[in-house]
Amino acid sequence: MSPLVLQGIASGVVTGCVYALIAISLVIVYKSSDVINFAGGEMVMLGGYIGMFALIGLGLPYLLIFPFAAVAIFAVGALFDRLVLTRTRHLALPGQSALVAMVIGTVGLSYVIKGAVRVVPYTEDVHRLPPISAGTPIFIGPVVLQQQDVAIVLAAIVIMVALWAFFSFTMAGKALRATSQNPRAASLVGIPVPLMSMTAWGLAAALAGVAGVLLAPKLLLTPDSGIIVILALAAAIIGGFTSLPGCVAGGILLGVVQNLIGVFVSSRAISLAPFLVIMLVLLVRPQGLFAGKATAKKV
Amino acid sequence: MFGSPPLARFAPLALLLIAGFALPQVLPQYFLFLGNILMMYAVLALGLDILLGWAGQFAFAHVAFFGIGTYTTALLQARLGVPFVIGMPLGAALAGLIGLVIGFPATRLRTVYLALATFAFAEAAQWVFNAWDKVTGGPDGLRISAPSVLGYATGSDPTAFPVMAAILALMIAATMYLTTSKLGRAMCAVRESEHVAAASGIDVNATKVAAFAISAIYAGVAGGMFTLFQSFVNPDVFSFGQIVLLLSMIVVGGLGSIPGVLIGVALLGLLPEIMRTTMRAFLVWQEFGYGVILVLVIMFMPRGIWGMIVARRGAP
Repeated sequence: MSPLVLQGIASGVVTGCVYALIAISLVIVYKSSDVINFAGGEMVMLGGYIGMFALIGLGLPYLLIFPFAAVAIFAVGALFDRLVLTRTRHLALPGQSALVAMVIGTVGLSYVIKGAVRVVPYTEDVHRLPPISAGTPIFIGPVVLQQQDVAIVLAAIVIMVALWAFFSFTMAGKALRATSQNPRAASLVGIPVPLMSMTAWGLAAALAGVAGVLLAPKLLLTPDSGIIVILALAAAIIGGFTSLPGCVAGGILLGVVQNLIGVFVSSRAISLAPFLVIMLVLLVRPQGLFAGKATAKKV
Repeated sequence: MFGSPPLARFAPLALLLIAGFALPQVLPQYFLFLGNILMMYAVLALGLDILLGWAGQFAFAHVAFFGIGTYTTALLQARLGVPFVIGMPLGAALAGLIGLVIGFPATRLRTVYLALATFAFAEAAQWVFNAWDKVTGGPDGLRISAPSVLGYATGSDPTAFPVMAAILALMIAATMYLTTSKLGRAMCAVRESEHVAAASGIDVNATKVAAFAISAIYAGVAGGMFTLFQSFVNPDVFSFGQIVLLLSMIVVGGLGSIPGVLIGVALLGLLPEIMRTTMRAFLVWQEFGYGVILVLVIMFMPRGIWGMIVARRGAP
């Protein structure tokens, strides 16, 4: 393989890791409330800005801005679930009209975040977060990786392993899974379902926010950066939209495919890649590439 | 409420027609421009509501059909000299045909999956409008020559207004017939429960595909309306923001009801104008305010404004 292709694959894995984190955030929301979170991209953007503010404005050390941003965005997500979605769930007619209203609610939230970030004077100048670790690039054969890229991949791996441990071994994680599988049965065994829904939204939001902090050194942050949610959606669909490992595989696959299209076809076609991937996967394998056999969704 | 709707319900349409011919004599041009935009959005929203509010299919492809209608009508006119009265139905028919094709995956996909697949289709269509620059003019856009409707020259806001009103009246009447027809009932049944619908002898897949095609025809008609009063089109007109605006309109107004959709279109269509004129100092807050209003409506009126009015009256 030519060095160009190898380099493309390596950079694709790096961006793919970030797509995967955002995709996991979307899937956690979807599993807890059947809603696509169209504000997911804005949570990423807001996380990037909060991280930047903590580092440059408050002068916090680099490692502390991750929990700082995570806690702030956790509050945004949890409050949105508590104040808006809980009401909508109760007031709407059963069935799809509630779903549509809730999705429109997330669209409203995306406008609120975007609009709020836009009016804060802090965002008028273009800021850029310094790289997590600057230094000499690392050479692996013909492939060159910035230290920052390696740090992004490591951080993503740490977060994913932590999530896996949380969902597999802790009481709260198991309760979250139970609630997503069957809320009524979960409440029968004493799991506080509304609290779980709030936690899921907060967790998903915090994840998106941390992904934003990771991403901020790589791309120029603007209030419109939330558009990245489209790539995360594509990654989540490749993975079947319900599986967290699927998100990781889907994100990395998408990142690599994008870069290879850039190498072999044209850079203009890169932006089309996620949509073609979404349509192809949904037409051929609606349950995703990594999920098992399609099963009937709860009615 | 089977069969054709009672004649009295067509009275507002007569008013709309009279207004369409009378208002250009009295209102200043800017208001007529706003009116034209609102009427175009009304047709778009009515079409989206057939799919989402009546048939219960959560799809995002509407702007793509709107674009197909606009470009077809405009290009037929500019390149081949096809008059509007033929070009617009052709554009609508092409949109409907592609809607039919897009409708088939809908028989396999549900809820969010359908939403995402159609969303991808809409984005891909916008990419085509951008990249196929030999035909569409690409990002630089396409000039639309002023069409004439049966010898009546349009192309400006006052001249287009009566034609727009006539088309809107026609589409509202069509919606009234559709929603009280057998197909309209079948759509409601599919929305409420596909299993029950199938058990009562309704062909669920055919109903879904029909809803997709009809909804796409509305978008194609709205695309034709676009060429009546605009002189320029570029792919930005068919961005994802438009579908979000349309969805917001029908959710705020009330899903699955003609008055609800029209209320939503008027409210959200005029809101930016009202904010611009009355709260000039807060212009930067416009995006924020728009989001807050959406969230508040979802919180307190999840069935929309019309849904709340109906619930208050206690009528079915």
